[in-house]
Amino acid sequence: MKVAVLSFAHERAATYARLLGDLPDVELVIADPDGSPDDPSRGRDTARRLGAAYADSWDEVFALRPDAVVVTSETDRRRDLVERAAGAGAHVLCEHPLAADEADAQAMVRVCEEAGVRLSLASPVCFGPAFAAVRQELAKEEVLGDLTTVLGAYNRPRPARSRAAESGALGAGAPPLLDMVDAVLGGTPAQQVYAQANSVLSGDPDVESAALVTVRYADGTVVSIDCSWGPADDASAAGGPTMTFVGDRGSVEFTASPRLVGGFDSATSRERWETRGDDPYAVMIGEFVAAAGRGSGAGPDGAAGVRTLRIVRAARASLRTGQPVELAVPQAARS
Amino acid sequence: MRQLEVALIGAGLIARLHLEAWTGAGASVRVHSQDGRAAELAAEFGAKAVDSLADALDGADAVDICSPTGTHRDIALAAIAEGVAVVCEKPLAADVAEAEEIVGAADRAGVPLYPAHDIRFAPAFARLHEVAADGRLGAGTVARFTVAGYHPRAWDGHASAESGGILTDQMLHGVDIAYWLFGDVVRVHAHYQGEITAPAPQGTSATGTAVLTHASGALSQVVSRWTPTPQPPIRVTYHVAGTGGTIVHDSEWPQEIQVSGGPAGVLGYYGESPFAAEIREFAQALRGGPPPRLVSHDALAAVRITQAAARSAWTGRAVELPVKGAAA
Repeated sequence: MKVAVLSFAHERAATYARLLGDLPDVELVIADPDGSPDDPSRGRDTARRLGAAYADSWDEVFALRPDAVVVTSETDRRRDLVERAAGAGAHVLCEHPLAADEADAQAMVRVCEEAGVRLSLASPVCFGPAFAAVRQELAKEEVLGDLTTVLGAYNRPRPARSRAAESGALGAGAPPLLDMVDAVLGGTPAQQVYAQANSVLSGDPDVESAALVTVRYADGTVVSIDCSWGPADDASAAGGPTMTFVGDRGSVEFTASPRLVGGFDSATSRERWETRGDDPYAVMIGEFVAAAGRGSGAGPDGAAGVRTLRIVRAARASLRTGQPVELAVPQAARS
Repeated sequence: MRQLEVALIGAGLIARLHLEAWTGAGASVRVHSQDGRAAELAAEFGAKAVDSLADALDGADAVDICSPTGTHRDIALAAIAEGVAVVCEKPLAADVAEAEEIVGAADRAGVPLYPAHDIRFAPAFARLHEVAADGRLGAGTVARFTVAGYHPRAWDGHASAESGGILTDQMLHGVDIAYWLFGDVVRVHAHYQGEITAPAPQGTSATGTAVLTHASGALSQVVSRWTPTPQPPIRVTYHVAGTGGTIVHDSEWPQEIQVSGGPAGVLGYYGESPFAAEIREFAQALRGGPPPRLVSHDALAAVRITQAAARSAWTGRAVELPVKGAAA
């Protein structure tokens, strides 16, 4: 199967290329024609290192007819690339957000639907077996009773370099948590969104480094998430999100990367923290490629991506006003 | 040194814990209660029971108010008028106006007023504050606090949903710690779910989810729950981050002694009770020692924040709190 990584603008593009290069049945193509002023040959160099094909232009990469693409470009180029991928009949794995604007994101969902290709969002935890198991548990009435409240946290280490909106805590940290909630709530739309943020850790007023978001969904579920940056080298935070599901009869706690061993590491003079389980990005890439091979999808679909985008945009609006933002709930979803 | 004379008002669960702690701190206690249980409680600890509030306050150095919240104001004002120091179980009052009235009266009379927020004396929270106060967390950025407890008895008060329901009481713990750590709160948003009005049955299930914005810019998420099942009877967690790192705690972590497979409700060793540490610190202050770690204005702040949370949950809006000396 031919899989193309489109652009190296996103920080994880190189990771995805490496993971795809490791898969035995994948023929990897890399395209990064827009390059970067700091590192114009980053895509070509990676392709050479991985022994992958390199395409010099978008026309060239789509002419190769990839079976699937991973869209890791700047946000404002994603709609164009997804539309071209759909035109080429390629399944798409796209980073959050689909687009800056909800109308653009909806257009991307439509074009993929019409072309019969699956649009998936790069939300690693949602692809994993542990999350599937927790969803199964939650579906059993006797475990939780009625789900009332969800508390999620994902304090990824602060990024080494901050690229404004995309690496801010809200834009980068909220979508993985919101996608998990969306999966558990079966796509129930959000009704009210409240967010507060600060820039204490980033020191740049335009880059929020701490953010709390509270969402009330149309079914009454209240979700409160912490998507703030953690300390730069906090191994305990790097592994993955945690989420507590509270019902009127009990609660369930999910830890994406539970601690395997502790102790003290004299070499670094730090607490030892090792997690178990597979690399969640490797699991996601593997699941995406396998699903594309079957012509089906895995992980959050485009419609879920739009719902998450709507919440993040409402959270930004709430940050500006200091008040909760009410969202119109589609008629069909009202209970 | 003369023995401290303490008038304990109330004879319920909290009064019992406080009486045990006052006795341990070497105080002489007279107990007064409206519910007829004072004599029995007093006898258990070798204390006196008295028939009226006036008898209780007569010659007392301090009153310790452990009666229902609705009675706090009148008892506190009576004590302050007599120049008797006040220790008061949380919340100081059921609304902001009453809390302001009590704190104002104590300020004008120069009478000490110590609110009993026992969570500040629990080792994990005392340590958290110590680490932060030493500057080892740097500038505070974001914190999460959860308290989940089983309400063992039917809730027989009369709390309406508009008043914030039963959660204004329990949520005060997390709110107080957030305020202690990160200071003044300027904005509050909250949701309440579940059985939030009282009276409510045993095993009532409810959740309060609040976000506090502090004047410093730091953020706190405070979640308080009544859990439907009795195990564990109470669980507290926190995750606090600053420019200097993080500090986390979970009361479900293995403790010094862990009991597995035994009968439900058997707890491990948790060290000294927070009530003992709390009352000892108050007793030392009343004897002329250093002021305790929390005073009247902390109680007022906690009531203001929880009442703002109640208003936010009722109106669906974030509630702004004025802070003295802060830019509008």
